[in-house]
Amino acid sequence: MTISVWRYSHLALAVSSFLLLVLASVTGIILAFEPVLQKSQPYRSDKFNELTLAQTLPVLKKNDAEISELSVDANQFVQIKGSDANGKNLTAYIDPQTGKMLGVPTPQTEFFQWVTALHRSLFLHEAGRFFIGLTAFLLLLITVSGTLLIIQRQRGVKRFFTRIVRENFAPYYHVVLGRLSLIPIFIMALSGTYLSLARFGLVATEKVSPKIDFDAIRSKPERTLADFAVFQNTRLADVQTIEFPFSEDVEDYYTLKLKDRELTVNQLTGDILSENHYPTAVLLTNLSLDLHTGRTSAIWALILAVASANILFFIYSGFAISWKRLKNRVKKNTYSADESRFIILVGSENGSTFRYAQFIHQQLLTLGEKSFLTELNKYAVFPKAEHLIALTATYGLGDAPTNATRFVDLVEKYPQPQPVRFSVLGFGSHAYPDFCKFAFEVNQLLARQSWAVPLVDIHTVNDKSPTDFGLWAEAWSQQTDLPMPVSLELLKAPTPDLETLVVTSTTKTAQPDGTFLIRLQNSHNQRVTSGDLLAIYPANDHRERLYSIGVVNNELQLSIRLHPNGLGSGFLHRQSPGETIQARIVNNDHFHFPKTAPTVVMIANGTGIAPFLGMIDRNTQKTPCHLYSGFRESVSFDLYRAFLEENRSAQQLTNLHVAYSREGEKQYVSQLIARDADFIAKVLATKGVIMICGSLSMQKDVIALLETICQTKLGKSVSFYQSHGQILMDCY
Amino acid sequence: MTCLRKIGWLVLALTLFGSSVSVAQSGTTQYKCMIQMTNYMGEKAYIAVSLMDGQGAYEKTLYVLGSDKKWYKDVKAWYRALGKKTPNISAISGASVAGGDRSVIVLEIDNAKLNKDYKLRFESAVEDKEDHAKDIEIPLTTAGLSARSEGTGFIRYVRFSPN
Repeated sequence: MTISVWRYSHLALAVSSFLLLVLASVTGIILAFEPVLQKSQPYRSDKFNELTLAQTLPVLKKNDAEISELSVDANQFVQIKGSDANGKNLTAYIDPQTGKMLGVPTPQTEFFQWVTALHRSLFLHEAGRFFIGLTAFLLLLITVSGTLLIIQRQRGVKRFFTRIVRENFAPYYHVVLGRLSLIPIFIMALSGTYLSLARFGLVATEKVSPKIDFDAIRSKPERTLADFAVFQNTRLADVQTIEFPFSEDVEDYYTLKLKDRELTVNQLTGDILSENHYPTAVLLTNLSLDLHTGRTSAIWALILAVASANILFFIYSGFAISWKRLKNRVKKNTYSADESRFIILVGSENGSTFRYAQFIHQQLLTLGEKSFLTELNKYAVFPKAEHLIALTATYGLGDAPTNATRFVDLVEKYPQPQPVRFSVLGFGSHAYPDFCKFAFEVNQLLARQSWAVPLVDIHTVNDKSPTDFGLWAEAWSQQTDLPMPVSLELLKAPTPDLETLVVTSTTKTAQPDGTFLIRLQNSHNQRVTSGDLLAIYPANDHRERLYSIGVVNNELQLSIRLHPNGLGSGFLHRQSPGETIQARIVNNDHFHFPKTAPTVVMIANGTGIAPFLGMIDRNTQKTPCHLYSGFRESVSFDLYRAFLEENRSAQQLTNLHVAYSREGEKQYVSQLIARDADFIAKVLATKGVIMICGSLSMQKDVIALLETICQTKLGKSVSFYQSHGQILMDCY
Repeated sequence: MTCLRKIGWLVLALTLFGSSVSVAQSGTTQYKCMIQMTNYMGEKAYIAVSLMDGQGAYEKTLYVLGSDKKWYKDVKAWYRALGKKTPNISAISGASVAGGDRSVIVLEIDNAKLNKDYKLRFESAVEDKEDHAKDIEIPLTTAGLSARSEGTGFIRYVRFSPN
C-alpha cells in the first residue's frame, strides 16, 4: 500500500539524516540572527530606493577619498573601498546621497564565522560540504514525503488545510506544525541543495570576462558622470558592485555588476563597452542565497529560524510517534494460533488500537484462557478457535488500516471449520465523516460467513473513550461470563457512583415469560435521554445488567421480558412502587434521537421498543416518525397500544406497523421492512435516520435486508449509511 | 636639466636631514595595486603580498587579502616564513577575492628598497585547491612597478599606479 511506502521512506530518511539535521538546524537558528543583527545597524539611507548612479557617483567623486570599488550589500548598506586622503587603505559605509562616511564595516564576528563554517562544512572542508549538501537533499525528500503523507491523511489536496483532530501531543503537532512550516522548510532545503550543487560545480556558474574591443574605445565626447545615460538609468538598488577605473587611462573603465548583468562603461564618454547577462544558474545561486540565509529580509530570516526550530521539534515528535508505534506492535504470543480458543485480530494504523487488544489479551491470559493476538492481515484458519474479537481502526476515506488491507480476501479464502462466535469493536472519531466505516465492513463481512455467529453487536469507541470500550467489555463479558474489568486500571475511568432510583410504578406480569414495564424516578436531576442505558447490579457484584431507557413523563421507563431464573429481569420484577434500587445511568450518545433528521424510522422487536417509547413521548416538534415493531402475540403489544395510539393522534408518531410472529400472518418485522423497501430507500436517500433496537438476530436480518435495499436502490453499501450516522443500532 | 637635478638633490637632502617626522614619512611611497583574478571556480582566494630579498628570503608582509586567520596556514610558504613572529597584520589586511573579480589595494613600499634587488611576491591559495607560492614575482624596480605583470596561478595580472 502506498501509504506505507511514504511513511517508511519518511522515517528512513529522517533516521539517516537526523544527526546532521539537528546540527544544521541548531546552527541555522543561530545564523538566522546574523542578518537580523546586521539590519539593526543605522547604515541604510532612507532615500536608497530612489537614488540613481548619476546622483551617487558624482557625489562620491567629490570626496577626498579615492574610491576603487563601491558595493551594496544585502542590507542595502553602501560600502566603498579605496584609499583616503593620506593614501591609506580605506573601507567604509557611506551615505549614497551625501557621500558622508557613516562608519567602518566590522568583519563577521569570530562567533558567526565559526558557526557558519560548522553549518556549511562541519569543519571538514569538501567532505563536510558534501554531507551537509546531502542532508539538505534528504530534508527535501523528507518534506516531499511528509507532504504526501499529509495529503493522504487529509484525504485530498483540497482538504490539505482542513482541521485535524487532536489525539495525542506528538502526532497532532507533528502534522499541524508540519503543514505550517512546510513551505519555509521546503524552500530552505531546496535552496540549500542548490547551493551545494553550485558549490560542487554541478550547475554551470562559470564567470565570463567582459569582451571589450579596445580599438573602438573613444575618448570623445567627454561627459560628466551625471550625464552618463547608463548611470541615469541605473538605480543604486540594482547594483551589487561597481569597480571604478584603475587609472585615468581611457582603456580603464567602470565595471557595473548589477543584479542581473554586468556592464562595462567608458569612463570618459559613458559609452557601454560590453554587456553580459548572467546565466540563469548565477541568478538562481543568488536567489538561493537570499532565501537560504534570509540576508535580504529580517522577517524571512526569523521565519527561517522558526522553521529550523520546527525541524528540531519534528525530529523529536517523529521519533516519539515511531517509538510508540513500534512499542505497540504485537508482542510474542504465549500460545500458538492453532491451540488458542480466543483469537484477537487487530487493525491499527498507528498502534493505539493495540493497547486495547493487549488489554483484552492479557485479561484472557490471566483467566487461564488460551488467547492469540495478531493483525487482521494474519487471519488464517484457527482450528481451536471459539471466539474471535476484531478490533479495528479506520484509515483515510473509510479504508482499512495498513495491517488489515488483505483481511477481506483472507476471510473469503479461509473459512473456519467450526462455528466461531465473533464480536467487532471499531475505533475512530466522530470528527471524521467515515466513522468506523471499516469496522462496520468487517462486521458485515463476518456476519455473512456461515461459520460466524454474532456474539455481541458491533460496538464503536469514539476518541478512545474508556466508557465506550467499557460498554463493549460489559456486553461481551455478559455473553461469555468471563469478567472483563476494563475501566479500572488501564483506562483509568473513575469508578462510577451509583445513584438511587425510586420505583414509581410497575405493570408486573402473570406469565413466566411475559413482558412488563417498570418506571423509575431518579432522585438527582441528572440528565437522562431516551436511548441511554440503565446499569443495575442485581447481586451487588461485578455482574451488571443493562437496559434501554425510554424517558416517559420525565420518568425512566424500562420494558423488560421476564426470563425464568433471569438475574436482572427477576430482580426488577420483584420491585414494588416506593422501593429504591441502586443503579447507574450510562450515557449512550450514539443511540439518541437525531436532532436534525427529516424522517426517523424506528425498528424494534420485543422489548427493544423501550427507548422508542420515550423518544416518541419527547417528539413534541413532530419529526415524522415511523415505527416498525415485531412481537410474538398481540398480548405483548397491548402494553404499548394505548400509549402509541394516543401519540399517533397527537402526530408525535406518524405511522405504526406491527408484525406478530405467532399470530395471524406470522410475520417478522423484517418482512414489514421488505414490504416498504422503496420508502426505506427514500428515507436514507433524503438523509433520514433508521434506528434499530432489539435482538441481534433481528438486527442481522434487518441489516442484511437493508444491504440489499441500499445496493439495489441506492448503489451504496449499508456501511456507508452506518458510518454517516444514518443507521443507528442498539441490540443485544 | 642639471639645475633640476640639483634641486632634486636639495629637496632630497632637506627631506632626509630635516625634521625627524618628515624623514619617517618620506621613507616610503604608496602604490595603488590592482589584482585581477582568473575566472576559476571555487571559494574566494587568500593572497599574501610579501617583500622578498635578492636571495628569495622573506623580509616583510606588505598586505594580506583575506581576514579570517583560520585560513592563513593555507597560504603555506608565506605562513611558514612568518614563523612564530606573527606580525600584527590586521592593519594591512582586507577581504579575500573571488574568481573573476579584481581587488585594488594600497602597498606602502620603503623607498630604500626600490631598485635594490628586492622582489614583490604574490602567493595565492584557495580552499581545497592548490597553493601558488609564486603566483607572481615582480622585481621591485621602477620598471616593475609600472608594467602589467601576468600571474601564473589564480591571479591573471597585477597592475600598479603611484598613489
